[in-house]
Amino acid sequence: MSDQSGKHDELVHPAARPFLWLDAKWLKSSMLWILLVLALGFAAIDLFHHRHEYVHVAETPGFYALWGFGSFVLAVMVGWFVIRGFLGREEDYWDGEGDQ
Amino acid sequence: MIEALYDVSPAWPVIIAGLIAAAVPNHYVRKGLALVAPVLAGFLWFNVPSGVHTGGIIELGGFTLETFRYDGLSRIWGLIFIIAAFINALYGLHSKDRVGDASGLIYAGAGLGAVFAGDLLSLFFFWELTAISSVFLIWGSKTNEAYKAGLRYLAIHVLSGVMLLAGAVIHSADTGSWAFDESLSVNTLGGFLIFLAFGIKCAFPFLHNWLQDAYPKATVTGAVVLSAFTTKLAVYALARGYAGTDMLIWIGAIMTAFPVFFAVVENDLRKVLSYSLNNQLGFMVVGIGVGTELAINGAAAHAFVHIIYKALLFMSMGAVLYRVGTVKASELGGLFKTMPATAIFCIIGAASISAFPLFSGFVAKAMTLAAVAHEGHYIVWFILLFASAGVLEHSGIKIPYFAFFAHDKGHRVREAPVNMLMAMGIAALMCVYLGWPDMFGIPGGYRALYNLTPFPEVANEYPMWTFDHVVGQMQLLLAALFAFAFLVRMKWYPDEKRSINLDFDWVYRRAFDGTARWGHAMFGRLWASIGNVLAAARTRMGGRLFQAFSPMGAISRDIPSGMLAIWTSALLAIVLIIAYIAP
Repeated sequence: MSDQSGKHDELVHPAARPFLWLDAKWLKSSMLWILLVLALGFAAIDLFHHRHEYVHVAETPGFYALWGFGSFVLAVMVGWFVIRGFLGREEDYWDGEGDQ
Repeated sequence: MIEALYDVSPAWPVIIAGLIAAAVPNHYVRKGLALVAPVLAGFLWFNVPSGVHTGGIIELGGFTLETFRYDGLSRIWGLIFIIAAFINALYGLHSKDRVGDASGLIYAGAGLGAVFAGDLLSLFFFWELTAISSVFLIWGSKTNEAYKAGLRYLAIHVLSGVMLLAGAVIHSADTGSWAFDESLSVNTLGGFLIFLAFGIKCAFPFLHNWLQDAYPKATVTGAVVLSAFTTKLAVYALARGYAGTDMLIWIGAIMTAFPVFFAVVENDLRKVLSYSLNNQLGFMVVGIGVGTELAINGAAAHAFVHIIYKALLFMSMGAVLYRVGTVKASELGGLFKTMPATAIFCIIGAASISAFPLFSGFVAKAMTLAAVAHEGHYIVWFILLFASAGVLEHSGIKIPYFAFFAHDKGHRVREAPVNMLMAMGIAALMCVYLGWPDMFGIPGGYRALYNLTPFPEVANEYPMWTFDHVVGQMQLLLAALFAFAFLVRMKWYPDEKRSINLDFDWVYRRAFDGTARWGHAMFGRLWASIGNVLAAARTRMGGRLFQAFSPMGAISRDIPSGMLAIWTSALLAIVLIIAYIAP
């Protein structure tokens, strides 16, 4: 097995070595907070700047942020519970056709 | 400018190169042809004088075929098809597959031919040629499932061609014209059949599964080639014949939304891209349905940039498949450590399709959304906004994250071959260039895209790079990214696992197939029953005949000779009487 961190793995591409921190645990655990700050920061712009939109409801402060968050969660939940729940099958469902 | 070549469609050098490639066993000659043919096609494209041009007229069997119609709409589609053909050729340089080389070229040439076709008969010819030539890109995988998927693909696309021809004949009988233009209408039988034919190729809802069935099973290069032409040709055909057809607005809206749910839980990343392709087509179809100049520009610009970033994503997954041997999300992860350049190119493709500002998807999709809102289709606008977040989920995050990051599965493979990296590099550069804003008085790359649209004046008047646009889009995308991190942290994000999800293809692969098999079995049993009845009747009849005529039968029984003499005398007497009476 190869070294999971990649630091001592000779097979890691030289160009990738400076970016091994992307796989670091601290980054994975802090990514949630980084994205939260960024998302709130951009949403907060609406408090100081009035956007002009064709659709008036979109001028509500934070509209796009709320719609983006809600849409993403809806997509994942419907995919998980409806599509996989009702339509998910074993990989060999198509009579061994191996439909991936 | 060479005036003698004004009438030559850019399709011909590519098709001819494909035919030659089919006969040439030398790998290097074939690859040379694959690279040179798009360059020649590009020269022909540039050689045409600006404005509307009609040429390449062929008189055949009393029909006038118009093989080269160059105008605002065919211009942008023609150019992106030529660019795609060149990038695909570069990407496939390592592949020693004569059939794949030939079919890829003929397919690209047929796509170009269809785009430049000015009449329905020429369109039909090239339409069918795209179907027949492209199936070899699926069969090239040389697996049983690819063979079966190719058959299904071919059957569906030939059906599309037959419907196109039938519709064209009826339309011509009604109107006296074979012209392929805006005279088509869904309100006539001929027009509706043609519309359905386009709908099959455009992967309308319930007609879409050939795409998710066939593309993931194609060869590494084949999937990239396939992603460029078939569906975008259908989008072009709709834009040419059915712009402003209201029905398309809702069809497109559904197309943007439903693939999102399937892509979320799909394990095969090339199949995720196929669903993603379906979703992107929806945006273009909505634009065509709205039908205003801004909306048509949005659809055309979207098709242009989409071909590039979708090819880039398919190329990156193709490189992963080529090196690792699988594109199952459940078996990938951590590949950025060994394929860093491929990872970067994939991320650029993902950012483009997600419409991050500074990438090409942003400047194209915005026009469609603005046109939809401007025309008052608010519910559709909300659906498109939902689909924009969905795109980020499946193509923006899922593809690069599960292949190159997530949990390192320990694959230590080599970086993609140089030719693949070059092709991906060109596509990535275009993704950035076409999304680049005006800066320091220098026109941005997006101006080049807008100048190519069918209505460049309208496109250039559209206020693309406004603070509101950028902020609104960043709010949407960052909140969706946060939602992903949040769901993963809470363990509310579904695991990638080896499984498949049923889709509408279940209807014809199971329900119809099952019905056909059941019917076949029932017919077999009925036939056997009829056979049994006939056999029994035959046996009974045979028995009776045997009883009558066999040596043991009734007729062969011993009869006393005296009785026989009496009967013979009687018969003789009757004969004599008749002979005497007869005149």
